Amino acid sequence: MMRRLSSGWVTLTLFSLGFFTFIYLPLIIITVYSFNSNPVNMMVWDGFTLDWYRGLFGLQERVDDLGMNRAIYVESTDQLIAALKNSLTIAFFTTSISTVIGTATAIALARYRFRARGFYSGFLLIPMMMPDIVLGIGLLIFFVTIGFQLSLLTIIIGHCTFLISYVFVVVQARMAGMDPALEEASADLGASEWLTLRKVLLPQLAPGIVGGALLAFVISMDDLVITYFIAGTGSTTLPLFIFSMVRRGVKPEINAIATLIILASVVIAALGLWLRSRKTD
Amino acid sequence: MTRKGRQNTVLAALLAPVTLYLGVFFLCPLLIIALFSFLEPGLYGGVVWNFYHWNYGRIFGWADGLIEVYEPIYLQILGRSLAFATFTVLASLLLCYPVAFWVSRLPEKWRASFLFLVTLPFFTSLIVRLYAWLLILKPSGVVNNALMSLGLTSAPIDILYTPFAVVLGMVYIMIPFMFLPVYAAVDNLDRSLVEASLDLGANRVQTFIKVIVPQTLPGIVGGSMIVFIPSVGNFVVPDILGGAKGLMIGNLVEQQFLSARNWPFGSALSMIIMAVVLTVLLVFVTRARKSAVGMS
Repeated sequence: MMRRLSSGWVTLTLFSLGFFTFIYLPLIIITVYSFNSNPVNMMVWDGFTLDWYRGLFGLQERVDDLGMNRAIYVESTDQLIAALKNSLTIAFFTTSISTVIGTATAIALARYRFRARGFYSGFLLIPMMMPDIVLGIGLLIFFVTIGFQLSLLTIIIGHCTFLISYVFVVVQARMAGMDPALEEASADLGASEWLTLRKVLLPQLAPGIVGGALLAFVISMDDLVITYFIAGTGSTTLPLFIFSMVRRGVKPEINAIATLIILASVVIAALGLWLRSRKTD
Repeated sequence: MTRKGRQNTVLAALLAPVTLYLGVFFLCPLLIIALFSFLEPGLYGGVVWNFYHWNYGRIFGWADGLIEVYEPIYLQILGRSLAFATFTVLASLLLCYPVAFWVSRLPEKWRASFLFLVTLPFFTSLIVRLYAWLLILKPSGVVNNALMSLGLTSAPIDILYTPFAVVLGMVYIMIPFMFLPVYAAVDNLDRSLVEASLDLGANRVQTFIKVIVPQTLPGIVGGSMIVFIPSVGNFVVPDILGGAKGLMIGNLVEQQFLSARNWPFGSALSMIIMAVVLTVLLVFVTRARKSAVGMS
C-alpha cells in the first residue's frame, strides 16, 4: 500500500478532513456563540458572557450599564424544565416497553422455527422505514377517531411503535453471534424453557439489550416529528419546545440550550462507547 | 404437557406482545390513513363518512368543478420532494464514499475513532443540528459575515430559504445513515481483485468503474435507500431552512393536519408518500433477491 502514498492519497486525506470539519463545525459554532454577549446580532462577536446560561436557569436578572435587562429572555424556564421532565418520562417508559417487547421478539425469531418467521422478520423492519410523518398523522387520526385523549401516554405509545423494531434489530444482531449450545445443554439438563431463558439466554444477551435500550432512549429523547402530531396540550417535549422556539426566531438562549444538549449527547455517546468497549474486553 | 407443547406456549408468549402492539398501533393507523383519504372533509375539520375521490382528484388532475379544484402545484411539490431527496442521496453519497474509503485504509486503531466521529452527530438532537445551519446560513449568519468581511459581496446573499439550504440540511442530518452501509461495503472490498485489475493493465478509472463500484454496490444501494426514504417525506428541514421555495410534500401534509384541518386531503397526500416509499422498498427488495440468486 505504501507505494501508493501518492497525491491521490493526500487528496483523499484532505477531502476527509474537510468532511469531518463539515460535520463538526456547525456544532462548534453554536457552542462558541452561546458565550457571545451580543444580544442584537448574535453572530457578531461582542465579548464573553454566561448571561444566556444564567437566564436559562432563571438565576440572574442583571441590569447593564444602559439600564437594560439583558439576562432574562427565556419566556419561561419552567416551560423548559417541564419539557425536559416530559421527555425523560416518555423516554423512560418507551425504553422499558420497547426493550421488553423487542427482546422477546428477537428471541422468538432466533430460537424458534415457525411458519410466519420470515413474515415477522420482514415486517418488523417496516416501522423503521416508514416515514415518521406518515406514522405521526396515522396515530393522530387513530387516537382522535377512537376518542383517546392526546397526552404523554399517546406519545409513549407512538414512540414504541417504531422503537420496538430498533431494539429488535440490535438484540437480533447480538443473538446471531451467540452459541445455542449453552441453551441446549440447559434444556438437556432438565431446565424448563423459562428457566433456560432467564438464566442462560438473557445474561448472554445483556450487552445487546443494553445497547438496544440505549438506542431507544436516545431516539425517544430526540423524536420530533411523531411527537409533534400526537402531543396533547401540556405534553410538550424538549425537541418540541426547541422547535417552537426556533420557529419564533433565533435567540441567544437557544444557543445555550443547544450547547447543553450537545454536551449531554456527547457525554451519553461516550458513555455508551465506553460501556461497549468494557463489555467486549 | 409435551416438550413441543411447552415450546409453543413460550413462543406464543414471546410473540403475542409484538403482534398485538404493532397490529393495533402500527397497522391500524396506516389503514385509517388509507380509509380517511377516501372520505369527505367536514366543513369545520373532521370528516363526513361518504366515499369521496376528489382528494386524489385535487392532486392528480380531476376536479368536480364546484368545491375541489385541481391544482398542478401539488404534483410540482411532489416532484420537488423527489428531486430534493435524489440530490440529497447523490450529495451524501459523493461525500461519504471517498471518506469511507479513506477510513477503511487507516491503521486499525484509528478506524474505530473515526467511525465514532461519524456517528456521534446522530446522537445529538436533530433540531439542534438544523438550528446550527440556520445560524450559519441566515443573512447575518456566519457565511454571509465571512463573505462580506472578505469583500466578496457587499450585501448578504440569500442562502437560507432556498432549495440549496434544504438539500444541505438534509445531507447534513443523513450523513451517518449513508456512511455506515457504504463503509461496510468498502471495508469488505476484496483488495486482491483491485490489485489484479491494476496488474492486468486496467487504469484507475476503469478499475474503479468495473471492479470497485460493482463490489460495493450493495452498500451504495442500501445507503441510498435509507437516505432517500426519510428525505422524501421530511418536513422539519424545509420547515426550518426552506421557506416557500423549499416547501416539500411533508409540509403540505403538516399544513392539512394542523392548520387547514383537511384531514382527508392530508391523508391522500400521505398515501402518496407511502406509495413512493413502498415502491422504493419493493425495487430494493426484488433487486437484492435477484443479486442474491445471482451470487449463489
